[in-house]
Amino acid sequence: MSRLFVQLLSLSKITFLESIRHRALIGLLTVALAFMGFSLVLSALALRDQALRVVTNFGVFSLSFLGVVIAIILGVILVYKEIERKTIYTVLAKPVPRPLFVLGKYLGLAAMLIVTLSLLAGAWFMVVMFRGGEPGIDHIYAVTLIFGEVLLVTSVAVFFSTFASPILSGIFTFGFFLIGRSVPVIEHMLSRRTGLFVDVPGLRPIGDLLVTGFPDLTVFQASNELLHGIPISTSYVVQALGYSCSYSVVLLSLGVLIFQRRDFI
Amino acid sequence: MSIDSSALISVRDLKKEFRLGVRLRRVDALKGISFDVPGGAVFGFLGPNGAGKTTTIKILAGLIHSSSGSASIFGEAVGASSVGARLGYLPEQPYFYDYLSGRETLLFYASLFGLKGDLAVRRSEELLDRVGLGHAGDRAVRKYSKGMMQRLGIAQALINDPELIILDEPMSGLDPIGRKEVRDLMFELKRAGKTVFFSSHILSDIEMACDRVAIINEGQIIESGSVSDLVARAGDLVEVFIRSEASLEAPEGSKGPELVGDLHRFELKPGSVDSFLAQVLDSGASIVSVVPRKTTLEDLFVQEIHSHRGEGKGGAP
Repeated sequence: MSRLFVQLLSLSKITFLESIRHRALIGLLTVALAFMGFSLVLSALALRDQALRVVTNFGVFSLSFLGVVIAIILGVILVYKEIERKTIYTVLAKPVPRPLFVLGKYLGLAAMLIVTLSLLAGAWFMVVMFRGGEPGIDHIYAVTLIFGEVLLVTSVAVFFSTFASPILSGIFTFGFFLIGRSVPVIEHMLSRRTGLFVDVPGLRPIGDLLVTGFPDLTVFQASNELLHGIPISTSYVVQALGYSCSYSVVLLSLGVLIFQRRDFI
Repeated sequence: MSIDSSALISVRDLKKEFRLGVRLRRVDALKGISFDVPGGAVFGFLGPNGAGKTTTIKILAGLIHSSSGSASIFGEAVGASSVGARLGYLPEQPYFYDYLSGRETLLFYASLFGLKGDLAVRRSEELLDRVGLGHAGDRAVRKYSKGMMQRLGIAQALINDPELIILDEPMSGLDPIGRKEVRDLMFELKRAGKTVFFSSHILSDIEMACDRVAIINEGQIIESGSVSDLVARAGDLVEVFIRSEASLEAPEGSKGPELVGDLHRFELKPGSVDSFLAQVLDSGASIVSVVPRKTTLEDLFVQEIHSHRGEGKGGAP
């Protein structure tokens, strides 16, 4: 094993250990499980043929939304914490290339998110089975797509945390997430003959910029397919993951460029 | 200053400016410093708080980029991976991942050098014993005292058996016994052929441990050389205590009077003692004591800092 690989493994491991011990994660996991429990209660009150729909909707929402919230909170905190608590001094004075440090942080967070989302997905599948559903490959694909979205958002959070405070990074990342989820709506507004982006002078270029510069995060949503029994193809999932990876690579590279130039005063 | 090819650390006209605050106020932390650290030396970097010691050390450790000038270690530019592999660094007031134990912390740092398996474990155990933390290796770092953190910091700086060890205020937070142990460790490292570069504002520690020193003030090196040369160059002193009703002027180049109880204390250059004592007797005052004294590094330091400030060389905001 090369030294770089051992270093990357160590940095990822330390980030993973730090993130799974974080109080915010425990709190958010509790909220997610409470959501699942609530969906069971709500589905019991729904019409018989709607019960599965309720738990499916709640499950996808819990996984996606809380996955993103965990990614934003821990993504913006962990790099900053290293700088604030000065643990970064002893690490970067070793023969650890700065890009490797950023990558290690990202991979550690990604590992934590995969473990966390897998646990939540397991809970969701049990709820679906309890309501008479049969989680199949489409459910697994739906969860995989959520992984794709959450990992992309994590790279956004890590990017901002290389130069901004946690509060600013959190606001920027959440803004990025909201715009990403709104890309099809903005596209639709731009294609109309009238409306906000057409009528207000100067807004159209901004709309164009948002549509071209931000990833369309709705490609990672598969709740409609699950609800209507539309199969999700493997090639679609692979393409979506590729889309997530491409954006993540660009964002992490930009983060590395900034991090390389930083002074740790 | 010409480049010394035998120097392990070579710093030339190093400058660093920071932009701080909303108005990006310019602060010149280093104003073009130059010095060399020869291999095998214990080199003390001395200066008051805010003089630029930590900024210099962070540039050497690759944590801060210089604004201009150059700094090289082992003949290579600072920040290079090949430099980091042969370097040990202890930051001022080190912090670690508080959920790891002391042993896990050292194993983590060992892994950053690519050390793993038995070698990493053996090295960690050796160092825990060496810094006196053998009994606390399994305790979480968050339960360590300040002194224990400092010892763990020294251990992590030695994990790769470095050729050069850079220590920023290594005695900080240590009790007198701990400070002596750190000094002993420095001598041990020197005997093993290592080079130690350390900063401190505790002058007695520097005087006892160092072969060579550089004194930095307001971002400028104001003195450098071997401790013995610098002290000798400053010359010896004669301490004179006088009891007098009238005020007496100290001769030029001397210090005083300083009121100590009901006595006036003067620090004189040896050449001015006779004429001064004659003047004292003429004035009717009485001489209480005349004691020759060796100049210490502390005397030199205070003298240099005062004269530097007096000359108005400063100007750092």
